[in-house]
Amino acid sequence: MFDWVVKNFGPLKHVPVLPHVFDAFLKMISLFQHKHLLDYVDDIETEVCSWQNTSVSVHKYGGIQFNTYNRELGHIHGNGLLDVLFSREQKLMLMKQYPVQDHHVFKNSGWISFKIKTIEDKQIALELLKYAYDLKPCPSPHGRG
Amino acid sequence: MTSTPTKQSRIVYGILVANIVSLLLVGGSKWLATWLEGSHAGNSSGVFIFSSFIIVPLIMGAISAWYWHPLKLKTIQYIGWSAVSTLVACATSFVFLKEGVICLLIVSPLILCFIITGALLARMLYNRKNNTLNSSIAGLAFLVLIADTFSSHENIRLVSDTIIVNAPIEKVWPYVVEYKPITLKEDYWLFQIGMPRPVQSTVDGYEAGAGRKCIFSNGYVFDEKMIVYKPNDELTFDIISQPHDPEIMGHIDILRGQFLLKDNGDGTTTVIGNSWYKLYVFPGWYFNLWSESITRNVHLRVMEHIKILSEEHV
Repeated sequence: MFDWVVKNFGPLKHVPVLPHVFDAFLKMISLFQHKHLLDYVDDIETEVCSWQNTSVSVHKYGGIQFNTYNRELGHIHGNGLLDVLFSREQKLMLMKQYPVQDHHVFKNSGWISFKIKTIEDKQIALELLKYAYDLKPCPSPHGRG
Repeated sequence: MTSTPTKQSRIVYGILVANIVSLLLVGGSKWLATWLEGSHAGNSSGVFIFSSFIIVPLIMGAISAWYWHPLKLKTIQYIGWSAVSTLVACATSFVFLKEGVICLLIVSPLILCFIITGALLARMLYNRKNNTLNSSIAGLAFLVLIADTFSSHENIRLVSDTIIVNAPIEKVWPYVVEYKPITLKEDYWLFQIGMPRPVQSTVDGYEAGAGRKCIFSNGYVFDEKMIVYKPNDELTFDIISQPHDPEIMGHIDILRGQFLLKDNGDGTTTVIGNSWYKLYVFPGWYFNLWSESITRNVHLRVMEHIKILSEEHV
């Protein structure tokens, strides 16, 4: 359903609040489809927030966004779809190592998509986010501390 | 000496305060619109603007999250308690706003979705500790509520349905004008759970200007006036009075009905049923889904009955 809505109603993502309503709807559906999915996403949020200089915010198109030094690491939509930004070379390398796919919209970019369903998927999601986190350069000479 | 609110009391406050504020906002905006428009208020006091179902639930969610966010609840708990808050909102609307059960059943998915959205968005904002941003968003929501209250709300729609009757046009026409009680088994789920459904139609004359009555299952009567009466061709009638009850009928006015007949030249007749209605509930994109479905099923119930009666003696 997520793909169908994104494909057919994509322009509506610019309507204020609407993507967040859709994301809330996805979370409600997720409750029935994957009972523990929302707990896994909460666990990921807690873990990523424990890393230095990270924060979470609302993703502009719905979902929870992870940031480091106010730059986006990735985000998770209400249906458990994780999107993380890498370079295209890193993406090709990760696609050999992990069951990740091209981004659900920007297929020719460095973005990867990974669907979280199980507790093992949660671990993979954390590894992907940690990998992206470790790659992000520090904005100041003082480093991450 | 002050005591720290317990987890349970914070959850309860989150639900209660949100619901009290929503009652004040919905009741207050309707009272304000009626008071300011004075005798020209017309039906505006019966209009539920989109703010009632979108902005107010968003604010409700945000208020709940204000009480809940220090508890570090999981997302699933936010959704669960938001569902409880939705049930409380429906119960208070039933008691204080005299809304009907079916009406609340229709509106509850919309309210639930927006309460959850408001709660989850606000949880994130409160955790940012950016009170300037929080105040800006609250102010923006309030401005939208005020602007929406005083905006024009016109939503007139047409629903059209067609069936083929295996009978010549002159056999069909009398049953279009009036018909004996419908005995068809009900298969539309809203009719099955108690929504009034059409039962019979009677007329007090056979010419334009004559009266017509459409009687519903719970005794409701729609008084109609035939404005076009062209035998074997067209029957158009305006609804001159209709019941307003706590269910869906209180939020929609049926304005006009029409039957168009076409002779297919092979002993069959095409019957087109048209209804024009005005909605008093917004957002239209959501409530039109329901009103179209209900109007369509009213059409089909009547037209199926006309088909059966017409084909009986062929």
